[in-house]
Amino acid sequence: MTVLAGIGFTAPWVLLGLLTLPILWLILRAVPPAPIRRLFPAVTLLLGLKDDESVSDRTPWWLLLLRMLAAAAIIIGLAGPVLNPSRDETGSGPLLLVLDASWAGATRWSSTLDQIDSQLTEAGRAGRPVSILRLTEPEPPVFQAAEAWRSRLPGLTPMPWQPTEAQIDLILETLEQAAGGFDTHWFSDRLDYDGHDQLVTALQGRGDVTVYQSSSPATAILPATYQDGAIQLSVLRANPGPAETVTILAQGRDPAGAMRVLQSTDLEFESGSTQLQIDLALPSELRARITRFELQGQRSAGAVTLTDDSLRRREVALIAGTLNREGLELLSPLHYLTQVLVPTADFVDGGLAEVLPANPDVIVLADVAKLSEVEQAEVVEWVEQGGLLLRFAGPRMAASDLGRDAEDVLLPVRLRSGGRSVGGAMSWGEAKGLAPFSESSPFYGLMIPEDVTVATQVMAQPDPNLADRVIASLSDGTPLVTRKPLGLGQVVLFHVTADAEWSTLPLSGLFVEMLDRLAVASAAKSRQEAQMQGTVWEPVQILDGFGTLIDAGTLAGVDGVELVSGQIGPNLRPGLYESGKQKLARNVLSDDSVLSPAVWPADVPIRGQEISTETPLEGLLLALALLLLTVDVIASLALSGRLGKVQPIAFMLVALLIAPDARAQTPDDTEFALNATHELVLAHVLTGNAQVDDIALAGLRGLVQTLHFRTSVEPADPIGVDLERDELAFFPLLYWPITPDQPQPSAEAYAKLNAYLRSGGMILFDTRDADIAGFGASSPNGRKLQQLAAPLNIPSLEPVPRDHVLTRAFYLLQDFPGRYSGTEVWVEAAPPDAEQIEGMPFRNLNDNVTPVVIGGNDWAGAWAVDRNGQSLLPVGRGYAGERQRELANRFGVNLVMHVLTGNYKSDQVHVPALLDRLGQ
Amino acid sequence: MNAAQTLRERSEAEASRLPPLLARAEQLAGTVLLGDHGRRRSGLGDDFWQYRPAQIGDSRRMIDHRRSARGDQQFVREREWQIAQSIMLWVDQGASMRFASGKDLPTKADRARLLGLSTAILLVRGGERVGLTGTTLPPRRGNAQIIRLAQAWSEDTQTDYAPPEHRAMIPHARAVFISDFLGPLDEVELALTKAADRGVRGVLLQVLDPSEESFPYSGRTIFESVGGTARHETLKAANLRDRYLDRLAKRKDALTQLCRATGWQMGLHHTGDSAQSALLWLYRALDGSAQ
Repeated sequence: MTVLAGIGFTAPWVLLGLLTLPILWLILRAVPPAPIRRLFPAVTLLLGLKDDESVSDRTPWWLLLLRMLAAAAIIIGLAGPVLNPSRDETGSGPLLLVLDASWAGATRWSSTLDQIDSQLTEAGRAGRPVSILRLTEPEPPVFQAAEAWRSRLPGLTPMPWQPTEAQIDLILETLEQAAGGFDTHWFSDRLDYDGHDQLVTALQGRGDVTVYQSSSPATAILPATYQDGAIQLSVLRANPGPAETVTILAQGRDPAGAMRVLQSTDLEFESGSTQLQIDLALPSELRARITRFELQGQRSAGAVTLTDDSLRRREVALIAGTLNREGLELLSPLHYLTQVLVPTADFVDGGLAEVLPANPDVIVLADVAKLSEVEQAEVVEWVEQGGLLLRFAGPRMAASDLGRDAEDVLLPVRLRSGGRSVGGAMSWGEAKGLAPFSESSPFYGLMIPEDVTVATQVMAQPDPNLADRVIASLSDGTPLVTRKPLGLGQVVLFHVTADAEWSTLPLSGLFVEMLDRLAVASAAKSRQEAQMQGTVWEPVQILDGFGTLIDAGTLAGVDGVELVSGQIGPNLRPGLYESGKQKLARNVLSDDSVLSPAVWPADVPIRGQEISTETPLEGLLLALALLLLTVDVIASLALSGRLGKVQPIAFMLVALLIAPDARAQTPDDTEFALNATHELVLAHVLTGNAQVDDIALAGLRGLVQTLHFRTSVEPADPIGVDLERDELAFFPLLYWPITPDQPQPSAEAYAKLNAYLRSGGMILFDTRDADIAGFGASSPNGRKLQQLAAPLNIPSLEPVPRDHVLTRAFYLLQDFPGRYSGTEVWVEAAPPDAEQIEGMPFRNLNDNVTPVVIGGNDWAGAWAVDRNGQSLLPVGRGYAGERQRELANRFGVNLVMHVLTGNYKSDQVHVPALLDRLGQ
Repeated sequence: MNAAQTLRERSEAEASRLPPLLARAEQLAGTVLLGDHGRRRSGLGDDFWQYRPAQIGDSRRMIDHRRSARGDQQFVREREWQIAQSIMLWVDQGASMRFASGKDLPTKADRARLLGLSTAILLVRGGERVGLTGTTLPPRRGNAQIIRLAQAWSEDTQTDYAPPEHRAMIPHARAVFISDFLGPLDEVELALTKAADRGVRGVLLQVLDPSEESFPYSGRTIFESVGGTARHETLKAANLRDRYLDRLAKRKDALTQLCRATGWQMGLHHTGDSAQSALLWLYRALDGSAQ
């Protein structure tokens, strides 16, 4: 690119064309303006008169100057001037653009794309083949023309992870295979990652490496943890820069269900520090609603942390059979449960009758044998709505008749009387250990400590469905924990006590983990690998690089251990995962993540990402030339005295230049409302097809005239309505002609239409094709009608029955022809229970005006008249045709009467008069 | 499409043009009050002239009994002698007349016909006989003649600068020539001298477009006559203005001289002016000459 006076030219040789301007001047000056032919009867008096001068009438100098300027503008414009040309020393040969494309660069992604775009433009100008390599989504580099890449540019998005080791390895491998040398422009996100240095070395081996990175470093937020009654949040930044304020937004659903910012907190990075921590103490109600924390002003996956069950504390009601042994706390059946649950759950105190209205998540019944019938019914209802009822056995349960003969609704299995005792002082057998959990058990994967033994338990009756309900059993196969679903909730029974009397289970860590798996206790601390052993988690929603949650689609499930400890990458995407009833959020950063800035070798030049955008002036200059030529046209016409004739055109041109949007001058809504309401006004829907719209308007005009002549309904001139823009509530009747190419109304327009139909409006759909098609989707218009009407709230339809009020609202009609007399006309179906009463000619039909009338007879065509009242379109042939037009007019009158008077004529009061007229 | 059909279509188109011309002409004529055309002597006529005593030879039914009953003498009521004058009209139908320099101006032909027909209406109302010069439409009275005149004038001729028709002039009749008189002057001269020979006197009304008076043109221009028979190209139209105006003045002068020599009256009308003033002038000129 050649740069002259700060303006670069892509094709500087074209500027030589400027040399031709003086020649052009001479030529234009020599050629006189074209003569005008004028009629002039007195030419006889002119004959024989000679011109004084032999020289021609010259073009005035200012017109010449105008033309010269236009020519110069064209020449300079074609030379491709560029304001602010980038003056990078352009290299040659292939160019590789390397993008980190990680979450850290997502906030500035658009400016990165702009810069890539300008680099591509430049490379295209220099004819360099280009390849783009995203480190987070590597593909073998393919060197292509820059233009090909430019079209793919909008498809490049950052990924919500850093380049993984596997990806770097893959890249290094492909780079080795790639032939030839190339220069590299590396758009860095300023974060370091494993393999960064090898990559730099490898790329330096092929050519020059230039790094582009922005001045603002990445900021990220660590996963939220809950500790000591407060949410702990940490914000990291890569570079220990100057003091900086960041704002953390806690987002969640408000009681109405809309996402909104529930809490916003400002934090101040001290100068030189890279980490910041804050404790957020929020009411538990609010805390439970938070779905994500994010940094304000950042648009990256790293600045977002999703929350899961861990912030939510479950409400648990603990109810024991008797609590009369005061002072013996360690012997309380609830002691161990309380110890397990205190860190993670809130307790609801009280008896069963008191806690049920509080709707706790879990109710624990420890050795409670029998519930009163009222209580039982209430508990069943609560479980069926999603509650978890956790029951523990005990001496009372073993002694009762609970679930003995038939299965109790609040027990998973039938119980045998008495239970059994093994390994006690008075028995022969050893205390039993636990059998490994089966794969279908929610406890699958948990480690079973050796020292967990069960001495006493209640026994389940061997029923056919017993095997399905056992989720943990002893080594001899007897059930230890059974479960059954009940409604949306479930009932779980531990066949041992909740204290250490019958077994050592409550003393072990396994007890805690089991309760965790049952979602009784939710893990406040981050989950340990051991807890996740053997679980599979299904992604529900995942984060993209910009921190937006998107639907997970068909992504495969992830192993629990991998989910907790794996590295975020293409195979483990950050987002929300679900397993059973538990939810787990995997964020981009984990608790121990550190952001370390990228370090570059000393010989790699680093440039900022701030670019001065090139402004091509070509279009501007060519537009200027066009404008000058337009002025030249007008001036030439004015000079030769022909402007008078073309004045309207010139004004139109000027008007077009000044006001390209004529719609901006449409009258405002008030005027429309006044026009539509000062009198009764019929309306038709504007289809965008001028011919159809004109006929529709003329048709309604004809109908209005007919109404004027024959009835006391005297509407004003009809108008066309734009569904998108105009209010519909003013019109009793909308005529909607269907054309196959009319646009589908927007969702708002459909909302308006549905409101219109609900409030008693009527739409007359007219497919206008009864001459060629039957009713239904057999014609383009019919199909379009189905498309258009699908989002409308239309009741079930039927062909007009013979006793419909439309047949006698004003005239007595049997059929409803328009220009065509073809298909049936469909209206809202009569209620199924409408029956004809003996002796009455009509059924007592629905009380409403039918919201739609659908047909294809082109009524507007039959009604249409011009301003003088002459029919516009022919109907049929001869007298029969005129008769058909008359019937069409009568249908129109009946329709308007039906709209305006409803079922007035359906009123049985009129039956005698109608009978009289019918001659019955 | 056969000839008769096209003729009929054209006639209908022409006929549709007639009523407005007639209506406008009637309206214009209505603005002028009729003067008297009496011979100032007793004779046949409608208007009262005098009572004279009955003489021998007067038939009894000529006696005016109302006047006679006042006295013993018997009177006869005499009426003024009114004689119908023959007026011959010539309106230039040439192509050069179909010219108007602006959209809001009527063509010269239009104005000339309007003035001609209005004059004819006035004259017919005054009881004169009106016709065309030449043999096509000899002078007659009555409203039907107006229709015939209008019909005759609704046909255009294609040639430029039609010469005045001077055949079959009725001696001692009156004549009205309406044209722009931009054609060959000798034809006009011939017609006027021939008319003077037969004792026909009359009025010459020159109808010009305002642009023909002002010549508001400039730049390189090709001037063409409406019929396309004459053309003149100039590179600087503005330079021609003075010489053109000079020639126009000379033409007017020549016409005036011609009129003076033959006892005619010369009038000038511009299509930009009101037609009524021209009609008034025409009427007065005819009236005066008729005295």
